[in-house]
Formats: sequence, C-alpha cells, structure tokens
Amino acid sequence: VKLGLANIITVYAMFTLGPGDTLCIPLARVFLGSVFSGQMTSLLYSLAGGLLCYLVMLLLRRILTVKQIWVCSVLGAMAHNIGQMAVAILVTGTAALVYYLPVLMVSGILTGAFTGLCAQFVTRQLDKITAHKQSAR
Amino acid sequence: MKTRTWAALIAALLLLFAALALWLSGRSAAGQVANIYIDGVCVRSVDLSQLKGPETYTVETEGGQNVIQIEPGRICVQEADCPDQVCVQAGWLTDSTAPIVCLPHQLVIRLEGSGVTAAPAIDGVSK
Repeated sequence: VKLGLANIITVYAMFTLGPGDTLCIPLARVFLGSVFSGQMTSLLYSLAGGLLCYLVMLLLRRILTVKQIWVCSVLGAMAHNIGQMAVAILVTGTAALVYYLPVLMVSGILTGAFTGLCAQFVTRQLDKITAHKQSAR
Repeated sequence: MKTRTWAALIAALLLLFAALALWLSGRSAAGQVANIYIDGVCVRSVDLSQLKGPETYTVETEGGQNVIQIEPGRICVQEADCPDQVCVQAGWLTDSTAPIVCLPHQLVIRLEGSGVTAAPAIDGVSK
C-alpha cells in the first residue's frame, strides 16, 4: 500500500490539460516504472489499474466541479485497485485474492481523498497565479 | 451532484468496505492443508497437522525465488527476492481467510480444508 503522491499530477492534469495529454502521464509512468524495476509482469497490473482509473476519471470530469476534484481522485483510486485486482486474479487464477479487495478499497479511499485534496489545492493555487498574471498584463 | 452527496456516497462506501474487511478477517474456516501454487498450478501440498517438525521449501520461478518456512499448523514466506516483499510481510498463514501472494513470482500459498484439486476452481465465496 502506497500513498500515491505522484497521482496528484495525474488528477491535476485531468482537470487542466486535455484527455489526450493526461493519458500520456500514467502510460509513461507505468512504462518507465516497469522498465526501471525490471519487472515486466508488474507492467500488466499497473497498466490495467492505470487505464481503468483514467477512464473513470475521464467520465467523472464532465460531472464534477473544481471543488469536487477529490471525489474524482477517490473513485479513480478505487478503479485503479479493481483493475489491478482483476488482472492479478486472471494471471494467478486465484479467485481468493478478492479477500484483499475490501482492505485495498479502504486504503484507496483514504489515500485517494488525500491526493485528491492535494490536487484540488494545487489547481486552485495555480489558477490564482495565472489569473493574477493575466490581470497584471 | 452536490459535494455533500458525493461525500456521503464515499463515506458509505468506506464504511461498507471497512465492515467487509473486518468481517472477513474475523471469519476463519478450518484449513490444515497448505497448497503452494505457481501460476495457478499446485506444485506442493503439505498437511500441516501431519507435519513432525519445521522444514523449509524453496520455490524457484522465472521471477526469482521464495524460501517458504513450514511448521506444524502454520506456513510463511521467510525470504524472497521480489522487490516489494509483500509475501514476506504477510507473516504466518494459519487459516484459510486470505492467501499469501507473491505477485512478481506468481506464487500463491493457501490453506485449504483438503488436498488439492488440479486447479483452484472454487473459491471461499462460492462455497
């Protein structure tokens, strides 16, 4: 279980950059991560988690306001865990892995809320800076 | 939707999964046969109640190796060369609730009530 601070970037990008640019971030992270750790099997888990998380956040982006970015992050984190779990069950052929899901969900909700709030503050502060620059011009 | 609605939804989910996690950890079925799976195939099956003394068993996979410690009534991964060490930190396995898993090596250790069927087709939920 990791805090996933790097996901702040992904969540932030989702609300400020376009969907295409945002997709590059988890893809690059997953690819570089598995190349440098030398674990090609982990590529599969991370990719499934990352893509499912991306899709959920893409859908949520349309219905959430800037003050609800943390919600997007929480549900994204849950989707990430579900995606990884699904691939793990398929790869190992062990359905009993589902037992880990509730624990992963609880940790995903908590860490997702934290990273989401961070992303929300980042978005708000950066908006202020750009607004300030534009008014100064 | 309002922020409050979202917060309520997420809080409900959090409670639900926390309750589920607690319920699962409290529930332990009898399982005295330790089965060691690699890639979903059982490579070794040990009856922990028949075991005389402690022994170690080393599993070699493409990813690396896991040193498994087997004692009467319990089993654990003592050492592994996987990067995350989740299997080692899982500690002793004494019941059938959750298996020990080493995802990088595709290794799964489960305690089950009886000997091994070819592949683990039925899980604890569908029983």
